[in-house]
Amino acid sequence: MSDIKTLIVDGLWTKNPALIQLLGICPLLAITTTLVNGLALGIATTVVLICTNSIVSLIRHTLLPSVRILIFVMIISSLVTTIDLLTNAFFHELHGVLGLFIPLIITNCTILAQAESVASRNSIGKSIISGGSAGLGFTAVLLVLGGFREIIGRGSLFSGIDMILGDSATDSFIKFPFDGALVAILPPGAFFGLAILIALRNLFIPTATIEQRLETNISESHG
Amino acid sequence: MNFPINSSPHVLPITSVPIIMRHVLYALIPSTIVYVWYFGFGIFINMLIASIAALISEAIMLRIRNRPIKPSLADGSAIVTAILIAFSIPPLAPWWLPVLGASSAIVLAKHLYGGIGANIFNPAMVGYAILLLSFPVQMTHWIPPQIENLGFQNIDLWSTVLYSVTGSLPSNLNLDAITQATPLDIVKGGLKNGISINELRSGPLFSQLGGYGWEWINIFTAFGGVYLLYKGIIRWHIPVSLLTSITIFAALFYLYDPNQNLSPSFHLLSGATVLGAFFIATDPVSAAATNQGRLIYGASIGALTYAIRTWGGYPDGLAFAVLLMNLMVPLIDRFTTPKIYGQQQ
Amino acid sequence: MLKYPLFQSFYGGVHLESHKNTSNHKQIARDFLPSRLIIPMNQQFGSDAIPSVKVGQLIQKGEVIGKPAEKNTTAVHASCSGRVGAIEKHPVPTAGKVSTSTCVIIETNDENNIAAQKPPLFKNHLDKLTAINHAGIVGLGGAAFPTAEKLNRKSSHCEMLILNGAECEPYISCDDLLMQEHATEVLRGALAMMEIVGAELTVVVIEKDKPKAIEAISNAIETIGSKCIRLTDIPTMYPTGGERQLVEALTGKEVPSGKYPIDVGCICQNVGTAYALDCFFQLGEPLINRIVTVTGQGVKNPQNVAVPIGAPIVELIKFCGGYDGEVSQLILGGNMMGYTVDTDQLPVTKSTNCIITTKKATTPKPFEIWPCIRCGECIPVCPVRLLPQQILKAYENKNFEELGKLGLSECIECGCCDVVCPSHIPLVENFRKAKHLRMQEIKSSELSNAAQKRYELKTQRLSSQHANTEKLHADLKESIKESSKNDMIKAAVERSKKRRDKK
Repeated sequence: MSDIKTLIVDGLWTKNPALIQLLGICPLLAITTTLVNGLALGIATTVVLICTNSIVSLIRHTLLPSVRILIFVMIISSLVTTIDLLTNAFFHELHGVLGLFIPLIITNCTILAQAESVASRNSIGKSIISGGSAGLGFTAVLLVLGGFREIIGRGSLFSGIDMILGDSATDSFIKFPFDGALVAILPPGAFFGLAILIALRNLFIPTATIEQRLETNISESHG
Repeated sequence: MNFPINSSPHVLPITSVPIIMRHVLYALIPSTIVYVWYFGFGIFINMLIASIAALISEAIMLRIRNRPIKPSLADGSAIVTAILIAFSIPPLAPWWLPVLGASSAIVLAKHLYGGIGANIFNPAMVGYAILLLSFPVQMTHWIPPQIENLGFQNIDLWSTVLYSVTGSLPSNLNLDAITQATPLDIVKGGLKNGISINELRSGPLFSQLGGYGWEWINIFTAFGGVYLLYKGIIRWHIPVSLLTSITIFAALFYLYDPNQNLSPSFHLLSGATVLGAFFIATDPVSAAATNQGRLIYGASIGALTYAIRTWGGYPDGLAFAVLLMNLMVPLIDRFTTPKIYGQQQ
Repeated sequence: MLKYPLFQSFYGGVHLESHKNTSNHKQIARDFLPSRLIIPMNQQFGSDAIPSVKVGQLIQKGEVIGKPAEKNTTAVHASCSGRVGAIEKHPVPTAGKVSTSTCVIIETNDENNIAAQKPPLFKNHLDKLTAINHAGIVGLGGAAFPTAEKLNRKSSHCEMLILNGAECEPYISCDDLLMQEHATEVLRGALAMMEIVGAELTVVVIEKDKPKAIEAISNAIETIGSKCIRLTDIPTMYPTGGERQLVEALTGKEVPSGKYPIDVGCICQNVGTAYALDCFFQLGEPLINRIVTVTGQGVKNPQNVAVPIGAPIVELIKFCGGYDGEVSQLILGGNMMGYTVDTDQLPVTKSTNCIITTKKATTPKPFEIWPCIRCGECIPVCPVRLLPQQILKAYENKNFEELGKLGLSECIECGCCDVVCPSHIPLVENFRKAKHLRMQEIKSSELSNAAQKRYELKTQRLSSQHANTEKLHADLKESIKESSKNDMIKAAVERSKKRRDKK
């Protein structure tokens, strides 16, 4: 039981892919111009993570070590293609916004890292929990960064929610009484935002601790 | 008799950071006067607001970073940053524009990098870039020169203050009617639409040498720069190389096709060229350290400014050129280290 | 004949307030006779001299009281007649700080005749150098390097003797006055040096702010009529008077790092040294006097005084009218490279060229120190062409490798960077600390390297030993096995034989 709890806490916080492992930074920075965009990419990534982990975990005993990465990428790409087509079919507008970044989930290092370090060594249950929590952790960061940038950059929150909930929700976003500073939506804003989030994380887990932990991990795995 | 022990040399330094900053402020006086002459008292309001914002954010950041507040506030560097920002925003601006510019310059560009002396980027230019990227509309609402007989509607001090505080003008004035784009803006837009330089320059905002009013602001800024050179606050390397390189590029393209490219005098005397050459690029913290390095640094800023003005997306490229070259400074410093006495290389 | 243009250029340096007119308008006072002398035995570069007198002994001015401990060091002489009061440890200013050294304390008497001496005669060149050492003559510019040692450079050819009268540090005027009053003697000393080193040319270097000295020397050159002495006036710029800087200024050559001016064909000598050498050659007088500038706002009659070596500073100050009010600092040497001392009970040594008494603070207050703003002012003023701002950064980061690359060890601690620093950072002080730390670091890394090597050797040795023993054991075991096997077989054979025999 405690094992599962650690897995969940790891994914959400102590080994959070975006804030601690700093993986998948590219989509993280590019997509989080609004909260809804972040949410959509987060959900897509989480789904891919869970599916990949479960499939990899199922076939882990038949994997040849020499071609494992190749197989991981093939599994991930077929899943992503599926999701790409599904979003295009059901959330066409959203697909237009997320555009290139859905296919790019393939190259999101979080997924490959999960497949390699968790799914190929653990049972399907554990793999799904780990993948799910990592995906949720990633999504959480996307939400926070997206929300932050949207509020500062546009003076709104949940704009574009209709792309997920349908036309009935067109006006159901929050508009603040200012226009916002465009820079937050532009690339510099993404870097500043992520830097501020990491700085805040540093208050709880200093980078030095993380580096230390990494070192012990390396020496353990070597030992 | 007992005497104290001190380390040599036993002589007081000849200058200090506050003295340098004070001279920089003195040197900005002539251009400020001309600025007020052409564009009204709006710049004073912006200077005041930006300075207050800069000092407050400096104090807060020093407090957060557990540094002594008084000496750093008294050194005047925050004020210089604020004044330079006030120069770069339109005279008719809502109050939060200088506030955001000054505070983001101090907080983001200065203190997040470790305070005075540790900032990689020129704080004033970071503040300006953030404003320009965030509020392109407000940042390009420039009022035309406030001189009679130009055919523009003039705006008085009271209306400027009112606009700054409330964001609205007295009912007899209309914001769109009294504001214009800057000459560089007009040229940029005009060329894109296929209008030739000659046609563009026949507009009322243009004069013989550059933009009406702008030419004199730039010339008087240069007087201030010469004062700094005379006082030994800055060295000649950066201004000279910057102005020379911008002149050379402008001259080359102007000679190639005078109808599509602005003349060197226009490039020199419009926008922030002279202010940048003497006051912005010479900011010691973010500039190259050796004389040789400074020549490279200045010349590259000149070339980049020309490139951004001519082919880039923004009318004036000096701020971006300075920021880009700030990034190159460690590399320049590395390759221009002087040969140490007595060491073969 | 003349191979070099006489003044080339000089990199770096600063213009300083000279303060020389505080002390250079009066003639050298020659009637100072202290009541007591504290003569240190460690006045020269190299090992200390050994006291050769007994307590209570009456000695005459000019008598040897300390014999050179080694062949290449110099002797110490009594600067006044009197009785040896004690031979004891006493604080002495040495090379930038106050340390303790064995001193001969002499209670002087009025009988101030110099021990009967006449111009020395030399059998050969080597004899001459030994005699110079025995006369206690060392460089009077500050480092107190034995003059004979410096002149004894037979291996490399010396083209030019540079007679250093630049005196670039503020306040000091002793060389200025010496050249004004004893130009002929100085030049005669220089000619003697030239003869010893076999140089073709002597260049007397004087900064332009000493017109009287320039006039006196050029008159003396005319009087002597020697064609191989040239006078060069150089711009007033600190620190042109540095040996390496002078060589660069005159010849355009740089003295390679870790080498001496002789390696580029030059020898630098101070004008005071030339004068001392002349006194010895003409009169047989050893080095027992030197001219000291007593100056600053804190003394009543600032002037230059011919001081017997070993005179206590407190008496010298009294001779110059005493302190004028509250004195904030006592500096030995110039205000740029000199050092402060905490007491005036120290003796004047051969390397004391100036005593400055200040009234105002000369160091910035701590709250007036800002972080480095990278203004780069320190770079063009550094005569060694270092990057002080980057050295400071490397020191703050304790990056010793970077410090080595930036040439920290080449820093001459001239203080130019301190003067121009708008942030008032005590750069030289930091660089001194950095040098110290770096030496420690290098030493400890050498130690650890040596330890590492020892350890490796030991493990190697042990493992080979181990292997040997193992092999030995294995061999033994094998042989035992073999032999025991054979024995057992034998025994079995025996037993079966016996059994068979029984049957």
